[in-house]
Parts: sequence; C-alpha cells; structure tokens
Amino acid sequence: MLCLLQGEEGGLQVKYGPFLFLGLLCCMAASSLTFVLAPQMQIGGLEQTNSVADLPVMYPSQPAGVTHQGAEVYRANNCAACHTLQIRPRNLGPDLQRGLGFRYSVARDYIFDKPVMLGLQRVGPDLSNVGARMNPSTILLHLYNPRATVDHSIMPPYPFLFEKRKIGRVASPDALVLPATLPPLEKGYEIVPRKEALSLAYYLTSLRQSSYLFEAPPPQKAKPVATTDTNAPAATTNSPAK
Amino acid sequence: MAVSTTLTAPSAQPVSSNSPQITATELDASCRWPLLALFGSAVLWLFLGVVLGFINTMKFHVPGFLAECPCFTYGRVHAAQSSALLYGFGLQASLGIGLWLLCRLGKAKLVGAVTILIGTLFWNAAVTLGVCCILGGEASGYDNLQMPGYMGPVLLWSYLMIAVCGILTYHRREERESYPSQWFVIAGLFWFAWIFSVASMVLFCPPTARGVVQASVAWWYSHNLTNIVLGFSGLASIFYFIPKILGRPLHSSYLAGLAFWTLALFGSWGGIPMGAPMPSWIPAMAALGTIFTIIPLIAVAINFCHTTCGQLKSLDKDVTLQFSYIALLFWFISSAQQIVSAFPAVGALTTFTWFTVAQKNLFLFGFFTMASFGAMYYILPRLLVIEPCPKLAKANFWLMLLGVLISYLGLGVGGANQGILLMDPANKFTDVMRATMMPVRVSSLGDLMIIGGILCFLLNFFGMFARRCCACCKAKKEACK
Repeated sequence: MLCLLQGEEGGLQVKYGPFLFLGLLCCMAASSLTFVLAPQMQIGGLEQTNSVADLPVMYPSQPAGVTHQGAEVYRANNCAACHTLQIRPRNLGPDLQRGLGFRYSVARDYIFDKPVMLGLQRVGPDLSNVGARMNPSTILLHLYNPRATVDHSIMPPYPFLFEKRKIGRVASPDALVLPATLPPLEKGYEIVPRKEALSLAYYLTSLRQSSYLFEAPPPQKAKPVATTDTNAPAATTNSPAK
Repeated sequence: MAVSTTLTAPSAQPVSSNSPQITATELDASCRWPLLALFGSAVLWLFLGVVLGFINTMKFHVPGFLAECPCFTYGRVHAAQSSALLYGFGLQASLGIGLWLLCRLGKAKLVGAVTILIGTLFWNAAVTLGVCCILGGEASGYDNLQMPGYMGPVLLWSYLMIAVCGILTYHRREERESYPSQWFVIAGLFWFAWIFSVASMVLFCPPTARGVVQASVAWWYSHNLTNIVLGFSGLASIFYFIPKILGRPLHSSYLAGLAFWTLALFGSWGGIPMGAPMPSWIPAMAALGTIFTIIPLIAVAINFCHTTCGQLKSLDKDVTLQFSYIALLFWFISSAQQIVSAFPAVGALTTFTWFTVAQKNLFLFGFFTMASFGAMYYILPRLLVIEPCPKLAKANFWLMLLGVLISYLGLGVGGANQGILLMDPANKFTDVMRATMMPVRVSSLGDLMIIGGILCFLLNFFGMFARRCCACCKAKKEACK
C-alpha cells in the first residue's frame, strides 16, 4: 500500500483521493468485521441451555417483568458507571479469588439483557452475583443509605427512590427497618420504597450467575456446599429469596 | 532515513503561488462564521462537561452531595459529562479544526458555509436534547454512546452535513499534493460517520444485537471514537502546527504515512477489557491491536524528534507551539500506558481501576483538549482579525498543564494502588476503596485547575469576539457619519 502512495518526488503523498478512501475503507472494514460482524456470527444466536442434565430447567431463565423494570432503573441511573457485571477468569484478575462469583462470566449469561451493561470500572463491587450475597431488604436499606449496611461505603445515597410518609392506620409492610446507627425518624413517619426501588431490588436479587455451563464448568475442586447451592433450579433465581 | 523531505512545512506566506488570487485572508474569511459557531459551541460544551465532572468529583468528598435530585446522581452526571465532552466539545472542535486545515492546506475556500452553520445548529440542538434526556434518565446504557438511540438520525444527519462540506473542500483543493494533516482529517470525517452509523444500526435499530455482541460493538465504537476520530484530529493539528511555527519541514512524510496507516489499522482494534465475558479471541485481538500501536508511536516519535531537534528554545515564544508540544507529549504517555495495559500481566491488575480512567482523561484533556486549544489560539485570531489576551493564554496553558498532571498522577497512583491491593483477596473491597480515596480526592484539585484553565480560554475567546463586535460597530458608525 505504501508504494502505491509514493509520490514522484520521493515523499509519501496521497495525490489521488480515491487511494486514501480505499485504504481507509479497508481499515474500517477490518476493524468492524472483527468486532461487529464476527462476534455477531459466533455468539449472536446463543440460546438458553440445559444447566442440569435431563431436567427441563433452562439457563438463563427468561427475566420476569419486574426484573426488566429494575434493569431499566439500573440503566436510567447508569449504575454501570461504578459497578461491573462481569467476573473475569482466574488468570485475568482476582475476581474468583475474592469470592465475587461461583465461576467466570460467559456470553450466555447475558442473552436476555437489553442493554448489556457490563461496566468498565469498579468504584463499587461487581454485582454479577449480588443476588447470592444480599437479600432485598438489605439492598433497599443500602440504596437508602449505603453507610447503614456497609461501614465507610463511598456510594452516594438514593433518597429519591424512597418516600417519607406518615404512618397510616397500619404501618406499610415494605417500610424500611432503620438500624440504630442511623438518626431516628420523627415519630409517626416511615420510609417506604417507591416502585423504582422495589423493582431495582428485585433486579439486583435476580443477579446470580450460578449455573455451571459447558463453557463455564465448575472449578476442579468444587466445594460440596457450593455445588448443591449452585445446582438449584435456575428458575427460582428470579424470585428474591425473602 | 534516506527519504528526502520534499514536503515543505505549510508556509505562512500568502497561500498559493500558482493561484495568486486566493490569499490566506480570503480563505480565513470564507470559513469565519461556520468555524466561529463550531468553536464557540465546542468551548461552551467543554466548560459544561468539566463542570459536570466536578459535580461528580464532589461526590467522592461528600457522598450525599446533590443526592436528593435524581438528575444529579453520579451515574447520570457521568453519562451526561461524557456526552458533553465527546459530542459537544470533541467532535465539534475536531470538525472546526479539520475544516480549517482542509481550506488552508488545499488552498481552497470552504464549501457550503450555510450548510455547515445549519448542521452545527442541528448538532448542538441534538446534543443539548441528548444530554437533557440522559439527566432525565433516558441514557442508552452504552459507554460513550449514552444519548438515546432516537437522537441518532439527527446527529448523523447534521454530522454528514458538515463532513460532506469538508470532503468537497478537499475535493476542490488547488494544491493536489496532500499533507499528512489532510489524511488525518479526511480519515476522521469518514471514520465517525462509519462507526456511528454501524453502532446505531446494531444497537438501536430492531432487530438489535443480542447479548454481549452489544458490549463488543459499544466498546469498539467507544474506542474508535476516542482513539481514532479524536486522536486523528489532535494529530492532524500537531502535524500541521509544530512544523509550521518552527518554520521547518516535517522530517519525513514516509514516517507520517506509516504512522497514519498503522494507526488506522491497529488503533481501531481495542477497547475490550481483558477477561470480558465473550469468546476470548475478541479481547485478545483488541489487546493485540493495541500492542501493535507501538509502531505509530515510534514513527511519530522519530518524526518529531528530528523535526524539532534543537528547537526547544523557541518553546516559550508561541502559545500554539506550547500547547502542541505538550499535547504530543501527553499523547505519547497516554498511548504508551494503553499499550502496557494491553499485556495480560498488567491488565489483570489495572482493568476496572482508576488507572484506566487516568489514561482516558489524559488522552481527552492532556492530548486532545490541549491540541485543540493550540489550534484555536492560531485559528481564532485569524478568523476574528484580533489578537488574544496573552496573559489569559498563559494562565490557560499553565492551569491546564498543572491540572492535567495533578489529575493524572492522582488517578494513576490511586489506580495502581487499587489494582495491587485488590490482587490480595484478604484485603476487603471497601478498605481498598477507602485507601484509594485520598489520591482520587487529590485529583479533584487537578480538575479544579482544568476548569480554571478552560474558563480562561472561554473568557479569552468571548473577549476577542466582543472586542471584534465593538470594533465592527464603531467602524459602521463612522461609516454612517
């Protein structure tokens, strides 16, 4: 290509616009074939699969409506600016050693995600398996005031996902149980999560990449406890464990 | 290097010998209003972007800062900031500089000034609407492509309105031989149109891509937008202004060609973090491409070492030269850091930490913004026929330089520390984050200085504009008398 563009006087000149255009077209084609078309051809058509032999349990399960709403809240507030949703293999980062997941993440884990928000920075911890670590009430309290659940957390609070209201005849069953470390509320008031907070908590509890797959087999020395836990039918992972 | 250097540095004299009727003044006059519109809005967006960034930095000092308002949550502001900086500032500044270079180097008047003005108007309207949508919770969820998908057609159409005028200007050039800067500019124009339409089609037009293909496309787009589109624009202005102001020819246009083509080929592969949940050849190809960008890095280094050797004394003479030198230096550092991080041993440590953020910020503020400022300090006085305030320019330079350095060192050291501490599973995540907070907080001092520097430029720009308007009014009044 270089000799094509050599000018008369020895300098490298593009005398003819078309050469420049053709060269650029080749470069653009090479990069978009590699990172757009080839991935689409290889993994664009991934489907659910049987995680447990001979059982009609498919992984990943179709997300429930409320989970989808929660994912929308996650997207709208761009939680991916601080949290990743991907566990790296053992040799490419200490994620598994830190106990962030049962196994590394694979493409099949995300086939129902729209948009896929893998994230590029961890200001907060990875959330791929947050459903296995936290229950909905802890998540809600964490969203209301992160320092109520994790000492010295640097996460900002999300008070607009909650409503402070007067207790009616009966206290709301969803109202947060504030720990003693927080300043107490005025008497007769309660903090109730809004719809967005509830669906976000549902979404987060649904995050659990626990099924072992052909492309992500269990580690060689799997602990028996982990095995029984992670072989649980994937369908149950959508409903938060209350 | 036995290559003869036939290409002279762009000469400062009245432009053409074979078409004496077109002078540099006429060329500048032909692109005055479109370029003023592009630069003016770009600088305003830059200021808005860094202010948004500062709001986010404040959250590391006081986590509850502006927490009551959904519009100002960290994530939304983060997305709005990147859109303001990349689309509001980056692309408009690169278009403005690119159009001017195409006029100057091709010795052709700008084609379609009105079309460019209309394109700029629509572009700014679309970016404004896009940023408002993001703050309102309509972000798309794809890094650096956060404006909602339905803004895509408006953005693409207004970009094409401007880019086509640039291509036509290039087509009508009087000077048939192309200078490296022209290749970079033309490549950038094609590149953005291509990557933006591909990414928008795949991510937003049904049937959209499924699963992590989206992530691959979004990362590929984001990497190409910064490294190629903005990178080419910055390099175009550096390749033009350094030889021109030094009054020396570019050492070798072969090396420039080598740098251009290898950067176009390999620089466009990348942006996929190591260990991403996709077939491992995809991140591996990205890393490989990034490592190969060592070739353009070395080519540019040799070229400029020879072009500028012994000329560093003249550094304090010209503000454009200062900005261009520093931009080049930061381009080296940032690219070298990117290459080093592409090796698995380093990548395992640095992926997902502040270290990569430091690199990206250095590229955007240290390289691209500095190079654009340098170019604008040269172009604006010629468009407005009025000199900038030298004190403000000096303050701008030093504030930017110190700000970028402090911010980079803070985030870089914090990020490296974060990566090393996280390697030991015994260290709790929250403890590690607390340990890295101090350098991150120090970096906000740098951010504050960058804001100060940009404010100086803003004052200088609009001061020049106001003085020019006053001068015009006076002249008109006198003419009436």
